[in-house]
Amino acid sequence: MVRYLRLYLCFVRFSFTKALQFRLDFFFRVAMDAVWYAVNLGFFGVLYAHTSLLGGWTESQAFVFAAGVFLADALHMTVFANNMWWLPIFVNRGDLDYHLVRPVSSLFFLSTRDFAANSLLNVVLAAGILAVTLGRYPDPLPAERVVLYLALLLAGVLIQYSLHLLFLIPVFWTHSAHGLRELYYAFERFAGRPHGVYGGLLRRILVSILPFSLIASYPTRALFEGFSPSLVLHVVGVAAASLVVVSIAWRLGLRAYASASS
Amino acid sequence: MRPSLFLRVVATEARVHLAYRADFWIQSVLGVAAQVALAYFVWQAMFRESGATRIGGFDLTGMAVYYLVVVLLAKLVLGPEHAGRVSQDVYEGGLNRYLVFPTSYFLFKYAQSLGALLPAVVQLALLALAAPLVLASPEGVAITPGGAAMAAVSVGAANLLYFAMSFPVQCVAFWAENVWSLAVALRLAAGLLGGLLLPLAVFPEGVRAILAWLPFRFLFDEPVRVLLGQVAFLDWLEGLGLALAWTGAVLLGGRLVWRRGVLGYGGVGI
Repeated sequence: MVRYLRLYLCFVRFSFTKALQFRLDFFFRVAMDAVWYAVNLGFFGVLYAHTSLLGGWTESQAFVFAAGVFLADALHMTVFANNMWWLPIFVNRGDLDYHLVRPVSSLFFLSTRDFAANSLLNVVLAAGILAVTLGRYPDPLPAERVVLYLALLLAGVLIQYSLHLLFLIPVFWTHSAHGLRELYYAFERFAGRPHGVYGGLLRRILVSILPFSLIASYPTRALFEGFSPSLVLHVVGVAAASLVVVSIAWRLGLRAYASASS
Repeated sequence: MRPSLFLRVVATEARVHLAYRADFWIQSVLGVAAQVALAYFVWQAMFRESGATRIGGFDLTGMAVYYLVVVLLAKLVLGPEHAGRVSQDVYEGGLNRYLVFPTSYFLFKYAQSLGALLPAVVQLALLALAAPLVLASPEGVAITPGGAAMAAVSVGAANLLYFAMSFPVQCVAFWAENVWSLAVALRLAAGLLGGLLLPLAVFPEGVRAILAWLPFRFLFDEPVRVLLGQVAFLDWLEGLGLALAWTGAVLLGGRLVWRRGVLGYGGVGI
């Protein structure tokens, strides 16, 4: 465990060195996410000009939810997203070989080696937006609920990582991840809308088979509705289960990996 | 650039983009369905919880038709994200060969981006055939052959406008190490301000007045409304003229950025 922690700190240090060499990229990333935040807040702003409730949430609640989505996304972008981008390329080029022979878990190595230091400022920005939306929320929110919310949001980030990886692992068989990557991005948008807007079968799918609603919607529910053992168990259970599924799928993928480039 | 060369570049790029058939079907069926379903559920909740029967002039069916059309047309307007990227040529030093070609780099890249649209054209054709089977024609929507022809011209103009907008952004690669963040930011902003994320008719009056002065509405909102039969012929002509004027202005700006960039280009990539 300590070895992994030391290794991870090396990744982080190396990423900061790299990020400081590409300073403009650093600011471009911040600008990109700032635009994304503005677009999403604008989206909800326009919708709430026509209704007082959306998916059972008021405008203030929807803004807190949106800020939660920003924070989860910023964490995902910082810790995992670059690695997810490179994975299919490594598989296609046969570059995975270099990583498979290292004396650490290949899944850990390939999921975390590229820490996006240039996205770290976005985590600060998203946390700031969350703090503002929580501060402007009209009703009092007990501190323990906020702590629970943040803990569930972290579990949501793990779910997001697992889902992202599960959409990419088929590259071991298909040799092109472009369609699946696009599909992941299409489904990921479901995480950016309140769970209450979905109905029927889709509502159930989004908390079970494709649990995108657990990334930010369920943590937000815990914040506004208070502690519910079933909700907490649901989010934590799915996070744990999805990590197990990822690890199994990864092993199956490696078995199919032929090492040759295509 | 000779028209025959332009067409050859379009055809070559189209073949490249049709090579991965699994990706094509995943994107055309599941990708489009996911986007339209997401919009549908949000608007279903909006109509249910607000108690309104029409928002921004659309009922729920009209809204569903709007999103189906805008999602499909947006593929034609925006094109694949990585098609013919100028920045890639700058980073890898691949621009060198284009600089010695006896042809316009801009037109060459534009031909490549048009070729990359072919999968989207096929998707549009397939889904356009299937759409009437699952969607009833809502009130205020009249898709006619004339309207479709006008919309095709508007989509062509929108595609050129977006390509012209992206060009200077891509040219930032002459000075910066990575411009994909800027390209994504442009896509996001255009999505909200152009009517891809929300029909512009649902924006508050004051915001709509500002958007009317910007070029983004010609990207999505205008072509969709033309196709749905909501724009009269003379208004369409006026809109088309304005879109082309914006394209000219943006191209002029892009040309300046390109010229400055090429002057400082080292030709070795990074």
